[in-house]
Amino acid sequence: MDHTRDNPLKRFTSFWLALLLVTTFAIGALILWPLSHGDVETVADLKAVDRLQVKAEVQKAQTENLNAEALAEALANAAKAPSQAPSPGSMAVPSLAPESVSAEDPAESPEPNN
Amino acid sequence: MTFKAFILGMLATFGLPWLFAIVLPFAEMRGLESPQLDEEGEYYDPGRAERISEGSKIYGQEGCAVCHSQVVRPTYAGWDVHRGEWAGLRASPDQPDDTRRETLPSDYFDEAVAHIGEARNGPDLSNFGRRVEFYQKGKEISAEQWVYLHLYNPRGVKNYKDDQFIPAKSTCPSKRSLFDQVPLYQAGDDALALEANEEGFAVIPNDRGRRLAGYLLSLKKDTLGQPLPKDWTFTREAPKAE
Amino acid sequence: MSETPSTTDIHDIELRSSIDRSLRHPVMFFFASGSIWLVLGILLGFIASAKKHAPEFLDCISWIDAGKVDAAHLSALVYGWGCQAAFGMIIWLMARLTRKECTASGIILVAGHLWNLIIMVGIVTILAGQGSGVTLMAFPSYIWVSLLVVYLMITLWSLVQFQVRDAGHVYVSQWYLLAGLLWFPWILGSAIFFVFASEGHPLMAAAVAAWFKSGVFLLFLLPTALASAYYLAPKVTGRPVYSYNVALFGFWALAFLGPWAGFQRLMGAPIPQFLPYAGAAAMVLILIPALAVGLNILKTIQDQKELAAQSPSLRFTTSGIVLFIIFGVLSFGLNTVPAIKMTQFSYTGYGLDILAIYGVFSLCAFGAIYFIVPRVTRREWLSSRFITWHFFLSLYAVASIVCCAIIGGIIQGQGMEDLSQPFGTMAERSSSYGWGITIAWAFLLVANFVFCLHLLLMWARLGRRSSHPTLLQNHHPESPHGPEGEIDNIGSVNA
Repeated sequence: MDHTRDNPLKRFTSFWLALLLVTTFAIGALILWPLSHGDVETVADLKAVDRLQVKAEVQKAQTENLNAEALAEALANAAKAPSQAPSPGSMAVPSLAPESVSAEDPAESPEPNN
Repeated sequence: MTFKAFILGMLATFGLPWLFAIVLPFAEMRGLESPQLDEEGEYYDPGRAERISEGSKIYGQEGCAVCHSQVVRPTYAGWDVHRGEWAGLRASPDQPDDTRRETLPSDYFDEAVAHIGEARNGPDLSNFGRRVEFYQKGKEISAEQWVYLHLYNPRGVKNYKDDQFIPAKSTCPSKRSLFDQVPLYQAGDDALALEANEEGFAVIPNDRGRRLAGYLLSLKKDTLGQPLPKDWTFTREAPKAE
Repeated sequence: MSETPSTTDIHDIELRSSIDRSLRHPVMFFFASGSIWLVLGILLGFIASAKKHAPEFLDCISWIDAGKVDAAHLSALVYGWGCQAAFGMIIWLMARLTRKECTASGIILVAGHLWNLIIMVGIVTILAGQGSGVTLMAFPSYIWVSLLVVYLMITLWSLVQFQVRDAGHVYVSQWYLLAGLLWFPWILGSAIFFVFASEGHPLMAAAVAAWFKSGVFLLFLLPTALASAYYLAPKVTGRPVYSYNVALFGFWALAFLGPWAGFQRLMGAPIPQFLPYAGAAAMVLILIPALAVGLNILKTIQDQKELAAQSPSLRFTTSGIVLFIIFGVLSFGLNTVPAIKMTQFSYTGYGLDILAIYGVFSLCAFGAIYFIVPRVTRREWLSSRFITWHFFLSLYAVASIVCCAIIGGIIQGQGMEDLSQPFGTMAERSSSYGWGITIAWAFLLVANFVFCLHLLLMWARLGRRSSHPTLLQNHHPESPHGPEGEIDNIGSVNA
């Protein structure tokens, strides 16, 4: 019988060999990492191409049609105007009469029309 | 057989399927292009917009996949397309299009794992959301409420399709852990329309229940009214009895 | 039977007894805690099965509602009982076959406690509804990672032992043990990586999980069971294995086919089409290794029928091997493409799983336990009646579960293919088979409660202090396990 096979050195190397063996395919998976990770194009991405193109067009058209001078002028005027001035067609908010029945009761309020 | 021969044999016999049945298909399926629709070259969009990944996880955790499948097999593998409205709605006066189709890879978009399912002790759920929404439209119980009632007590709710009580023999478990009992004044709009409510209390779905119901209602794996993807058809005629 | 043993014999007996002593605590710990998990797994299986046809059963406890309890049942059975029984068998068989004492039993024992703790946390997590949501890998991902680490703490030492063995013949058992030892971390590591750690297509995650589930049996539990059978059959009968070449052929056939199986669960799903076909083909061809292994072992114990009737180890092992041949035949018949069409989404798959886990693996594991435990505790089994009950109840119950599940599943599948029948009728028709399965689980519960009790008494060192092994029929004067009381008598021989 060959007794030299069992010695601490042999056990030590066998341990690391065994660890290497059991992790072989974990190592393999790490080597092949690029196959299982990284960005891929999804439907959302593909659809986004069209959507972003439309968005770009709209923004371009908006920028082109923006009359910067008129806007600046209007803003300057707005700053001058008194802030509390009534705009055309506005009405004063009526206050609730002290003795009146409030219309808060949900049972009596009419159903919204939708 | 020497140890070296053994190890080489093991690495080869395991490595081959590992590479060709796991790694390469995995890489292929990741980069899968979505099917294109006819002519225009537009991409087919499953168009699901709920909290799918969360709901899908809860579906798995609650074990729905033990009894419900989510795959409509092509006819070589089974007659799923022709069983009821599992594969989509059939053409009817209210519904001019036949929306049935087989399952596509993009149907599981946004889920961590596809719930293929282990058995069909209950019906296939691929198009559950589509069916409930279609048949519950205009009835006093909304589609969402119907799903809640079904999750709470599957034997206490009428079938969405024919208004019959789902057979008392249904073996679907009631998932009460997805619901909370709260005092009536806290219930709000979501309170379940139960007949046997405890006095002064109502039952409402909790967060998990809401997510699961949202996911279930998002199960619409039919043609969605769009044309079928290019190069992709199936025979709509049911097989003749042999 | 024998005269005064020679010096080499005494040396040999001393070596064996010192190996047994070095492994006593880890081996007994694995077997005992495994058997408790077995009882628990069967109890959960009973509840899960009852809920399939009587949904109001235990409806008030939402922790164990249908769906969650199914996952907990299979996880307890496979990872609580199956893996732990396999660990006990692996470390003991490897030490005996390499003729080396175990020097790491402390680490193994600690790792064994960790394994139990992790499984317990995992089962509670599943029942609390916080599992991974992956149907066939229900523990959350951190549980799988820690199981892998603890697995290495338990089994690496056996690989080291093999490398430092005394030169000489390598037994078939050792190849099976080594293969199982390597395959498990390979499939578990790959499954963790591809299901949880990388963002792939949800269908591939499902496919890899199905592959892993099939691999746990074909590439870990099965090789361990076969290693034990290839050890016990020659050992108990005192004859060499019938054919070493057929044994090697059976081994390589399994090695070649096993890693392809599992994908047939996804037949018809939109994944690359060759995958489910490859899985189905592998499952069909499993008949080849089943026949090779089965006939080889049955040939080895042929002409020794009396021994097989007497020795509990041999009786359980032989039944396990016969069930493996039946598994091969059923797998051959039920995985052809037209059959899968019917059985894919029915009870049938469950029936095959239970046949594999309980019928094939567990019966072989019981055989090994009935052989190993008296040797490491140096006590004999208390009652041959307990063993007989355990055997017949097990065999009867597993046969009923498998028959009900497979026949019920085929009827269910046939109904599904018959479009003239409404879905409800078909679901109802198969539910009566569900009753059969539930009743069978109750029988299995009784059988394994007896077994667990018996084993725990042995663990507490309450076994018989006798030099006569417990046999099932007492009229035979000779022991099948070699000279009786050889270990206990060393002292007197030396003196």
